[in-house]
Amino acid sequence: MTPDIFELRHTDFSLAEDELAVREAFREFFTEQCPANRVRASEPLGFDARLWRQAAELGAATMGLPESLGGDDAGLLLLVIVAEEAGAVLAPVPFAEHTAASRAVAQFAAGAAGAGPARARDALLSVAERPLTLMPQPVTALMSALAPAGAVARDVLALDGDELVLLHAQEPPPLMQNQGSTPLAQWAVREGVSRTVIASGGDAVTGYATACAEWRLLTAAALVGLTRAALGLAVDFSKSRETMGVPIGSLQGVAFPLVDVEIGVSGARNLVRKAAWLADNEPGEHPGLSEAAFAYAAQVATHGATTAAHMQGGLGFTVEADASLYFLRAKGWSVLGGDPARAVRAVGDALIARVLNK
Amino acid sequence: MELSAVTLDSEQQAFAARVRGFLTEHVTPEVLEHERVTGDGFNEQVHLALGERGWIMPTWPAERGGAGLDPVRARILELEMRRARTPDVTLGTTRAVAAAVRRYADPSVREDLLRGAAVGTVRFCLGYTEPDGGSDIAAAKVRAVRDGDEWVINGSKIFTTGAHNSQHTFLITRTDPELPKHKGLTMFLVPLNAPGVEIQAIRTFGGERTNVVYYGGVRVSDACRLGGVNEGWSVLRGPLNAEHGIHDDDGGHALTMGLGWLSAVELARALDVAAEWAVTPGPDGARPADDPYVRYRLGQVAIDLEAAVVTPGLMGRVKGSEALISGAAALTDLLGPAGVLSEGTPPAPGGGQVDFAHRFAQGTATYGGTVEVYRTMIAQHVLGLPRPAYPGAKVLVQRKR
Repeated sequence: MTPDIFELRHTDFSLAEDELAVREAFREFFTEQCPANRVRASEPLGFDARLWRQAAELGAATMGLPESLGGDDAGLLLLVIVAEEAGAVLAPVPFAEHTAASRAVAQFAAGAAGAGPARARDALLSVAERPLTLMPQPVTALMSALAPAGAVARDVLALDGDELVLLHAQEPPPLMQNQGSTPLAQWAVREGVSRTVIASGGDAVTGYATACAEWRLLTAAALVGLTRAALGLAVDFSKSRETMGVPIGSLQGVAFPLVDVEIGVSGARNLVRKAAWLADNEPGEHPGLSEAAFAYAAQVATHGATTAAHMQGGLGFTVEADASLYFLRAKGWSVLGGDPARAVRAVGDALIARVLNK
Repeated sequence: MELSAVTLDSEQQAFAARVRGFLTEHVTPEVLEHERVTGDGFNEQVHLALGERGWIMPTWPAERGGAGLDPVRARILELEMRRARTPDVTLGTTRAVAAAVRRYADPSVREDLLRGAAVGTVRFCLGYTEPDGGSDIAAAKVRAVRDGDEWVINGSKIFTTGAHNSQHTFLITRTDPELPKHKGLTMFLVPLNAPGVEIQAIRTFGGERTNVVYYGGVRVSDACRLGGVNEGWSVLRGPLNAEHGIHDDDGGHALTMGLGWLSAVELARALDVAAEWAVTPGPDGARPADDPYVRYRLGQVAIDLEAAVVTPGLMGRVKGSEALISGAAALTDLLGPAGVLSEGTPPAPGGGQVDFAHRFAQGTATYGGTVEVYRTMIAQHVLGLPRPAYPGAKVLVQRKR
């Protein structure tokens, strides 16, 4: 955390041709396939099975998996680019949860015989039909916990003590209806739920930490997309809405708060991409960066969604306004892993560790 | 995307070592103490020594007084100079004006000016802001009136930082009050030793010295004019864009450092000091960092610092300044009374860096164009919001007396 500010590094954030191609493909797909009415139609569950299948056809469900398991070996940078586009249309698909969980499971699916790898391979068999998910906070003895996307997944990755386990059920538990219309559900080891250890000890803890870091980054990217699009709605509104003979967007009292959202979005996007790029290219060398990106994106989204709704006045407060969809998900997505302020403290922990190890 | 660390070859490493050696030799504790006391933003011996090596205009070819540095070496030089806290405010304004001099100065004086700027004997400052003006540079009222082959200049400019270090000021004047606001302006390079020029010091609570400069019937030759009469706005745009971090070539921006980055450097220094404070055991053996609350506070500052460093373009300029302002305030609070101990007071953590950062931070939101000016630019150029209709946007509005 807080690397030497005088370090000589390239700072080229422009996307390369392949990165741009992925962004354009998914931007086009999500924009065409997922207008606001499809988001509304998916409520309250927040899962559109057909959209997930369509996205899977484009590679969304497998692109981050190794080629040996039918994936494209995409790195985190490409994955956060996709997550931002999904977030921008509020796509009712659990891309972040599935991607983070399936990549971790894939690590333990190869090679050896035994119940763990077999279960891991099974979980990855029909991802286009049933996404995986994870518990982004460690659980204690698998007492009941809220799992994001838990109402649509049959396999949930969790850390139980020092064991990395896959919980499996033929049918997911029922939806816990929530502010963000995401498929939250309570998972526990109970009748009809199997618990299979896929790794233990250091491997389990490391694998789980990586999965959580990736989930945070992907969620952060989705929040960047969400805030970007919410801002776009408010900007469009403020260009056409007039007061006292001028468009409200020409007034500093409206323009400057919107500018502050842009300042946040543009920085959060680069911070997420930086964390992803460094995780791809210098894994393990930048502790705290995924937490920093996540905490900042969550702050930017909370502030941005409020501002974007507010700049549309009373209309932005109505459920008919698309701004409301964005507002409700800004918190609905930010808190799925617990209080985002814990990520702030984790950044401080990493900073102190760096100073002590100097 | 490309964020990899730049690996230096042996020649580049040797260059970096030469730069560091030079800075150790020249940017001495005495130089730093002088800067702390005076806030000059300049040290003549250091400046001339830089000029001797071609490092005032490092990318200019050697035959023009530069060092012909490639972008990597130029960046090494910038980073090391910043790391060593080289007083460089007047260096920065000299560089900003040099491009306009090259393009617009009268051929009879141009080469001497540029050669002098490169070796360090000629320094330029920016004569933009007026006492009753502010960030609206195009509202300049300082008058220049033609008198044969000369011009007579009357009026005053404020915040002419480095005027007392400089030989010339890059002065924006009103030559035709009847024309639309941006059309009646003319630029001059005014010698600061001309009769009628009076420079008075202004101190800021950020520790800097700046100036108010009075022009009382100052006569300058027409050869001091830069660009056409009433075409001053286009002459000024080059240095102004450079000050705003806007560059003609896209490739260059990755290696340039704007105000946002400068702000981030000060925040990083303050954060380093606070982190050291946090791991230092108190009399009871406990470290402040043992308290999760302290780590939380440090974490938030670190996040804003990381965000400031990567926030692009115009947005980065605002974020850098505001991250420094909020971060320095938070770190001051965190340190309690130790956070407001002055520089040079021995128990001040890190030599008073946090106290300095909190005071220094405030100016970064104003000079080079306020963050509100930048917000206006972001609103119009990035978000595409409609321009407000202000009565003085296109014409000079003179207050009736």
